[in-house]
Amino acid sequence: MAPSLLFNPAKLPPSEALQLAQQAPVVLQGSSSPSETVDQWATFENLLLACLRTGDDEAAAKCMDQLEARFGPDNERVMALRGLLSEAQAENNGELEAVLKQYDAILEGNSTNLVGHDRLRQLFPDRRFANPPCLRLQPITKRRIALLRSMGRVSDAATALVQLLDFSPTDAEAWSELSDLYFTQGLYSQAIYALEEVLLLSPNAWNIHARLGEVQYMAATTSGSGGGSQQKYLAEALKRFARSIELCDDYLRGYYGLKLVTTRLLKEQAKQAKQTDDGEFTLPDPKTIERLDELATAKLSEIVRHSTLKDRGWRGYDEREVAAARELLSQNGIER
Amino acid sequence: MTWISNTITVFGGLLLAHACYSAQEHAALQSFRAAATSTLTSSTPVASSLPVDIAIETIVATLVIVLGLVLGTRPLRPIQWRVWAGKIEREGEEGFLGNNGEVEKDYMGNPFTYLESRPSFVDIRRQRKEFAEWIKNGGGDAGKK
Repeated sequence: MAPSLLFNPAKLPPSEALQLAQQAPVVLQGSSSPSETVDQWATFENLLLACLRTGDDEAAAKCMDQLEARFGPDNERVMALRGLLSEAQAENNGELEAVLKQYDAILEGNSTNLVGHDRLRQLFPDRRFANPPCLRLQPITKRRIALLRSMGRVSDAATALVQLLDFSPTDAEAWSELSDLYFTQGLYSQAIYALEEVLLLSPNAWNIHARLGEVQYMAATTSGSGGGSQQKYLAEALKRFARSIELCDDYLRGYYGLKLVTTRLLKEQAKQAKQTDDGEFTLPDPKTIERLDELATAKLSEIVRHSTLKDRGWRGYDEREVAAARELLSQNGIER
Repeated sequence: MTWISNTITVFGGLLLAHACYSAQEHAALQSFRAAATSTLTSSTPVASSLPVDIAIETIVATLVIVLGLVLGTRPLRPIQWRVWAGKIEREGEEGFLGNNGEVEKDYMGNPFTYLESRPSFVDIRRQRKEFAEWIKNGGGDAGKK
């Protein structure tokens, strides 16, 4: 089934992005009709992104022109897209710097200088107060951060992102980006903190619960800070995966994580006698962990069985995820 | 299943039409008779009630139509969060087909994927590079099939 142009193509695999980009001539042709439909501009934006990704710059430029003609070059979203276009077409670092300067110029010219800020500067002349980024210009602020990160200036990107979050702390997407940024730097506790902020903003997001569990599991497997914090991370991860399953029946990712964590917990318990010392966290008792482990195994093998047979109503899973689950099961010596 | 519900609905419609027709005929006959018998006296309209069988037929027809329509509805959407979310994960687009066999317009998959794909922060240069590599590794042929 061809993916829909109504949704952002960022997460699609390359083959589907290609399918989308190949629709460009048809969509661009059909756009000459004078009546606007609700989905028209979302379609154009996503088509632009797909074309940029597949390297079809010509079609991307056409989409861009249409968007600009409709919303005007001053529209902040259009400006961000225009920047994206030049980012994609930049060939060397110098050109990227130029794009970055452009973003800076836009942001400088429009930064809202709040009255309160002047007062703060008077009161504390020795401290620096950055101009708050204009909320209207958020798309461009975000592009600037993404570009900084793409250019490898990670710490600059983190600073800018923290600044953005200072002024709009309810932006779940930005928190998630911050978490990913810290995560790639190996700063697990910061990444976990940022993900917890995301969960505060969207507590029902089952994929974020699973993500947090994954990060905590990785923190537990890599942290060299002794058994205590390791166990704490594992206990937290167990809770997170359990919550993600609670929010979503038959969630492959959640069960996969649950299986990983319980296997590890059971192994560690066998290795070392129980370590029940600090009251900061409590591991569930071994029986519960065993039962969770059994549940995860049963569910995983059910999912793997059904989706290998392509049963009706079980075709929504990602094939790679199913393959990974199969591998995990066979590693544990459980045959389907 | 659709043909059953459709047949029932059409049958109910026929019954209803028949009942209406009967009622109309009955009324016409009544007024004709009244006009014929009481031309001299001041024409007080005879308060004639419908025969019971027409009334029953109308009610039965309505019930049959309702039955047909109810049978023909799509399965209801899950109202529990975890069931709904599980359906998205397990069945994907297939679980949300409309009557015409196309994916429903308001289907959007997991509404929280944007928190992981983060479209505002997309690194377009890396995506382009990855795509070019995918093409180079023969991914393009697989995509065209």
